[in-house]
Amino acid sequence: MRINYDWRLARLLNDEDAIIDEIYWTSNVTVSNLVRRLLALQRGRLSPEARVLYERFEEANIDSEGHLDDPSWPAYGKDEQVMFDEAIIKMAKLKIAESSGDLDKRLDMLVSSANEIRSAWTTSESRCIEWIGLFLTEINLDTRRKEIIQSVVKSDSITSTADLLETTRPIFNPSESEWGALKQHCESVISLTKRMNQHEDSIRVLALDYMPTLSSLMGPLSASKLLVLAGSRERLARMPSGSLQVLGAHAAMAAHRNGASPPKHGSILFSLPQVGKSPRWVRGKVARFIAGKASIAVRIDHFGGVPWREEEISKINKDIESIINKFPKPPKRK
Amino acid sequence: MKRKVNSLGWGVRKEGRNIWTRNAVKGISVRKERRKRDGRNEWRLWDPTKSKIAASLLRTRLNPSEIIPLPGDNCLYLGSSTGGTVSHIHDCVCGSGNHHKGQIIAIDISTRMMRDLVRLSEIRPGIVPVLADARDIKQISPFINKKVDWLHQDLSISDQAKTFVKVAEVFLKTNGIGLLSLKAASERVSDGSTENKFEKAQDILENSNLEVIERIDLKGLEEQHVLFYCRLNK
Repeated sequence: MRINYDWRLARLLNDEDAIIDEIYWTSNVTVSNLVRRLLALQRGRLSPEARVLYERFEEANIDSEGHLDDPSWPAYGKDEQVMFDEAIIKMAKLKIAESSGDLDKRLDMLVSSANEIRSAWTTSESRCIEWIGLFLTEINLDTRRKEIIQSVVKSDSITSTADLLETTRPIFNPSESEWGALKQHCESVISLTKRMNQHEDSIRVLALDYMPTLSSLMGPLSASKLLVLAGSRERLARMPSGSLQVLGAHAAMAAHRNGASPPKHGSILFSLPQVGKSPRWVRGKVARFIAGKASIAVRIDHFGGVPWREEEISKINKDIESIINKFPKPPKRK
Repeated sequence: MKRKVNSLGWGVRKEGRNIWTRNAVKGISVRKERRKRDGRNEWRLWDPTKSKIAASLLRTRLNPSEIIPLPGDNCLYLGSSTGGTVSHIHDCVCGSGNHHKGQIIAIDISTRMMRDLVRLSEIRPGIVPVLADARDIKQISPFINKKVDWLHQDLSISDQAKTFVKVAEVFLKTNGIGLLSLKAASERVSDGSTENKFEKAQDILENSNLEVIERIDLKGLEEQHVLFYCRLNK
């Protein structure tokens, strides 16, 4: 015996395909109830009618696609078709609206937006420094980099900027409109800095809540970047630690497929001081160790484990130090 | 000089190297495509560089009218995106106000794509937008009342042929038309060259209940793509 069902009815058939029992959905048939029903069916649940039949005939097999092979399965009536068409649009809209509750997508937006701001900031900040350097030729653009843009924003002219920075006044002054453009560009850099800080604060708050263990291991910003590269927390949690280790090393992995040696770490792991500031001959070992621990950490976060406390994190950091100390000298060349 | 017009079926015609579909919603383009009047009817240009079905109509060596569904058919479209191609299929399957009583169940996994598809389905009755993972049969089956006459899969995933066979065997009618747009770049690198990937996919299709009628190379219109035109035998 088997039970076939869709959102309208459930049917019990014997092995000769004869209908033994049939229940139609008759009470509270509304569009909003149909939306609920379709959502439940899509999640793999039984319809209430199919459940009733199953409770009566527990030995029957349930087949969610069985109705497609039943030649006598009724086609939609006119009213049913109208209701289905209305419900399907409502359901799609509901699911689209629900996607704003998806923390993976929200972190993706925040991290991607922060990356774009950072890239815009780097370009604009360098341009402003070079632009001011064209007029203030005596100032050291490296050591006093941080003050320069702030000073321009506070000044009315290039000469007052020079006075503020206690450097030689320029021989040629920019025109009024040129100065206005330069000042506005510097103001936009300051505004980008504020926006970047705001983005990073939001990422920290979300990540500490969504991935507490991974965030305490790697820092919330790196943890979020890893999540975005993986696609979602679930994908990161299901990922082998070897894949996590090379997340962000797309180009190196592509080269590896063509015969180059494999990358030791991705860009996110390299940005961790434990990896990036270690001697080059232990970076791979440290990256592998951290990737293994990060893999466990994200699984704890995703599958509802007990988040690591300070003691566990400091033990991991000690283990990293012992790996670094174990290999004080580079290996001999073969 | 007026170009020769070839009808490829109801609501689809070829003029020179252009394909046009009879616009089911007059005065509205879906993705800013050209429209033109012809008496009481309005025709929409079907861009073969943006639609693999349109590309296959130009590239097939067989009768192109066999590839497209008939008016009133029940169709399943996996990986519908924002509904550009779906709208042209809708022009011929449903027509204005769905007077052919056809249906296109359009599946996509992305909420961003689904936003546009929902808006499209509101003005084009007959399109059923479903936000679901096309690889998971259980997520699709609640929306399908009877087996479909025409199936098209356009998914950027690995194992495209395996997914197509799995879906076709469940949802496609016997003798129904199945079209698989295979994107080589989405398959695993370990599967070898582009040609190896196409061969492997063809083997998978031929070892199933599907009969591969034609392998249509879309080179020049869609790079690294072929479209397998199949029929389901049982």
